[in-house]
Amino acid sequence: MEEAGRLMERVRARDTAAFEAIYDRYHRLVYGVALRVLSDPIAAEDVTQAVFMKVWSDPTLFRDGNFGAWIARIARNRAFDVVRGRALHGESEFPASLPADDTLEDTALAHIDAAQVRAALGNLPPEQREPIELGFFGGVTQEQIARQTGLPLGTVKTRMRTGLRKLRNALEGVLTL
Amino acid sequence: MMSHDEMLDNVAAYALGVLSPAQAAMTARHLETCEQCREEYRFLRPAVTAIAYSAQAEGAQAPAIPSALLKARIMKQVRATTPRRFPMHVWPAYAVAAACLALAIIAGAADFRLNARLDRDRAQLAAQAAVMADLSAPDSQRYAFAGGQVFTRGERLYIAMHDLPQPPRGRVYQAWTLAKGAKTVAPSLTFLPAAGRVAIVKLPQNATNVAAVAVSVEPVGGSKQPTTKPIALVRI
Repeated sequence: MEEAGRLMERVRARDTAAFEAIYDRYHRLVYGVALRVLSDPIAAEDVTQAVFMKVWSDPTLFRDGNFGAWIARIARNRAFDVVRGRALHGESEFPASLPADDTLEDTALAHIDAAQVRAALGNLPPEQREPIELGFFGGVTQEQIARQTGLPLGTVKTRMRTGLRKLRNALEGVLTL
Repeated sequence: MMSHDEMLDNVAAYALGVLSPAQAAMTARHLETCEQCREEYRFLRPAVTAIAYSAQAEGAQAPAIPSALLKARIMKQVRATTPRRFPMHVWPAYAVAAACLALAIIAGAADFRLNARLDRDRAQLAAQAAVMADLSAPDSQRYAFAGGQVFTRGERLYIAMHDLPQPPRGRVYQAWTLAKGAKTVAPSLTFLPAAGRVAIVKLPQNATNVAAVAVSVEPVGGSKQPTTKPIALVRI
């Protein structure tokens, strides 16, 4: 299978076949993230279309690193834009976008088995898994999670970090680094 | 003052994208100077990416997969914005269809204000899909002339022109139709080329009653009879 970075080089040269290969490989990821954030299949398709048209119209936005991580970040941010547009809560309460600092980006994750990730997430204690998923897919800050759960902010922070570290360790054999 | 343990908690939240913009900016600045926190970030980041993958459907799990039509829609947009690579004298149906889509979508592709744009795109796509269906249908009839083609499908009649320059100021292009058995042409629509010097016009006349189509340059508002020599004339 041709590496995504190489495919994106061809996309920059306006190669529609390379773009189609990118779509075939990543559309489930993009749509899945958008659907989890929006809980609306039509809006999730709109986001998926917007994300892939962004890939096509401005392929230089992807510079290097892990393409799956990059496009998942774009999908999440775009889905959050839709949530913002629905004015569910004020802009000031919305979390910052996922960091896009390429120098600190994980560079490989060549193969991720979604089912194994779901299993690893499922093995986390609920008090760790729930704030992680709520934060990642729900578009809420730690402060909002603390308010919603009635837990001290420090407890929420620690649980998130502990859960994330456990998840990372559990995926050691799953992620191809 | 935040302890370093608290800062490590913030690094995890930063990787997960759940910090407020102000806290995220502060954490990003800290990462620039703290190797221990950078190490923690590098360690955790793949887990965050994996969380995104947890939302990905496997196999044909519905409803977590987009409809098959989505890919077709996206690829149509993509191909519509791809530079033409065929000789100028070849103008097949797919080029007509691509040019047709390009008329309205190119600008929208770079504009991501979703809600308004997507509604507009849907309406455009629906109208363009109907045109494309006619232009690319196997039962459509095509009549080529220098610089374009006339298409008919059933009663519907289209004229498609490429490399069409803007007419002089105060002038427009006007289509003419010659009804079967008639001796003089009747005025049809006036039009201007769109971006890419392409014009695709659906004429209101019933194609089954039309024997010929012509195009001439006329004053804005159109004429009752051609006042200039036709730049296109095709018998159908």
